[in-house]
Amino acid sequence: MLEMTQNPASLRAPLTCLIVDDSAFMRFHLKRLMDAFENVVAREAANGDEAVTEYERFKPDIVLMDIVMPGQGGIETVKQICAHDPAARVIMISSLSYQEKVEEALAAGAKCFVAKPVTTEQLRQAIDRVFTASV
Amino acid sequence: MRLDFVKVFRDSTSEMLQQIVGPVDEMDSMSMHAVPLAGRDVTAVIELDGEAQGRVIFDMDSMTAMRIAGRLLDEPPPVMTPIAQSAISELASMIIGHAISVINDQGTHVNMEPPLIGDAELARTEMCFETLTFPVQTLFGEVRVNVMIHDLD
Repeated sequence: MLEMTQNPASLRAPLTCLIVDDSAFMRFHLKRLMDAFENVVAREAANGDEAVTEYERFKPDIVLMDIVMPGQGGIETVKQICAHDPAARVIMISSLSYQEKVEEALAAGAKCFVAKPVTTEQLRQAIDRVFTASV
Repeated sequence: MRLDFVKVFRDSTSEMLQQIVGPVDEMDSMSMHAVPLAGRDVTAVIELDGEAQGRVIFDMDSMTAMRIAGRLLDEPPPVMTPIAQSAISELASMIIGHAISVINDQGTHVNMEPPLIGDAELARTEMCFETLTFPVQTLFGEVRVNVMIHDLD
């Protein structure tokens, strides 16, 4: 389990993160939330195609993925990423949080779902959860 | 017009604005118009489709938009920069996404398109749409919301 509040940053490798959202503000905001955790390296993608390319290149520890994006949406993008890497730790972050959509996201391969607006604490819990699940 | 859905949009607008921007004052003035009342400087439009179709238009003056964006960015922008526009756009998206989630959980499948953000021209239309309009007063100024939504048939 990743205990982000307890592990000294110097004792572990950086947590790598890919932030996928078409909204420049949300990418800025999520990066700001991630910066609250020590030793994080974040990259960004503004659409599904960029996300797949960046995932292959960057192999991040976690992916924060929006659902509603122009072109290929987040659900299809998660399917593509998980087809190549079933162990990908994808956290869906969306304001579309109805039951059917949450189930669709999890069936596509997302490991966790957080409804917008997201707080630092929710993000921390989600990251802990996806690392726990992958142990 | 699906008045039951309009109430969901209104409740979601108040709830999300309160949660994200701060205290709001819901004005008791919902009005119906043949076309949207949207002529202010900053306009966000979100199209809806699925078993019910329509659009929601948010508009506000530029000072209100910059102050709200400043709240979201933790720093007031000097002008309506692209990131400030994106913040307003995302706020509209979160409000509508929340409302659509409630409507879907009630059994009607409705989807949303990514928001468009621009000036008053964005909301201009030659067509008549029965529109319900309501204002919400925030600490930073008034946000006006136009909702057009009807069943597919």
